Amino acid sequence: MATEVLWWIFAVAIVVTSAGVVLSGSVIHSAIWLILSLAGIGAMYLFLTVEFLALVQFLIYGGAVTVLILLALMLTRMGAGGKPDRVTGGQAPFAALVGAGLFVVLFGVVIGTDWGDVPDAPSNIPIEAISDVLFREFGAPFVIASVLLLVALVGAIILARQEEGD
Amino acid sequence: MVPMENYLILSAIVFSLGVYGVLARRNAVLVLMSVELMLNAVSLNFIAFATYLDPDRILGAIFAVFVITVAAAEVGLALAIVIRLFRSRSTSNVDEAAILKW
Repeated sequence: MATEVLWWIFAVAIVVTSAGVVLSGSVIHSAIWLILSLAGIGAMYLFLTVEFLALVQFLIYGGAVTVLILLALMLTRMGAGGKPDRVTGGQAPFAALVGAGLFVVLFGVVIGTDWGDVPDAPSNIPIEAISDVLFREFGAPFVIASVLLLVALVGAIILARQEEGD
Repeated sequence: MVPMENYLILSAIVFSLGVYGVLARRNAVLVLMSVELMLNAVSLNFIAFATYLDPDRILGAIFAVFVITVAAAEVGLALAIVIRLFRSRSTSNVDEAAILKW
C-alpha cells in the first residue's frame, strides 16, 4: 500500500516536471525541470525493480547529459543587452493539438488492448542476468555501441572546435 | 501493487508532452530536451513490458541500455551542432536557421 502511494506521488511529480520542461518560459528553468523529471523516471525504474538502469539513469542523465545541456545553454545565451528570447513559437497551439491527439490515441490503445495474463507485481531483474545477456547474446551490438560513442565523441570535438578565422 | 497500465499511461503522457515540446519550442536546446523526454518515455515502456510481460524479463532492459547509449551520443553531437550554429549565426532558434530550406 505504501508503495502504491509513493508510486502515485512520483507519477504526479514526473508529469508536473515534464510539463515544466515543455512549458517553462526560461531555458534554464526548463533544464532544471528536466533534471527532476529524469530523476523521477529513474525512481520509476526502482519501482520496476531494475536497480541497474535506475543507477545508469541517475549517473548518465542526471549527471552527464543535463550538465552538457546546461553548458550548451550557457554558451548560446544572447548578449547581456538583448531582451530575452521568446522560447515558444507561434505554432504552439497546433503542437498542443498534435500532442493531445497523440495522447488520446495512446491512451485508447493502452486501455483498449487486452494485455492477457499480466501479473500484479513486476518481477525482479537481477543485475547478473542483465550482464549475462548484454555481454553474451548482445556482445556485437555492445561493441558497435561503443564505437558509436567514440565516433560521436570525435565528431562533437571536430564540430565544436574553434577554427582559424571562424 | 501498481498495474502495468499505469506505467504505460504515464509514459504516454510524458511522450505526448515531449512531442508538444519538439513541435512548439523555438530554441534548439529546448527541442533537444523534449527529445530526451520522449526517449525516456520509450525506455520506461520497454522496462514496464520487460518486468511484467516478458518471461525472460531481460530484453526490455537491454533495449533501454542501448536507448540511453544512443541518446548520450545524440546529445553530444546535437549540442556541438547548436554551438556551431550559434557561433556562425548568433542564434540558437530553429526557425531562424532555415538556410537549408528553399
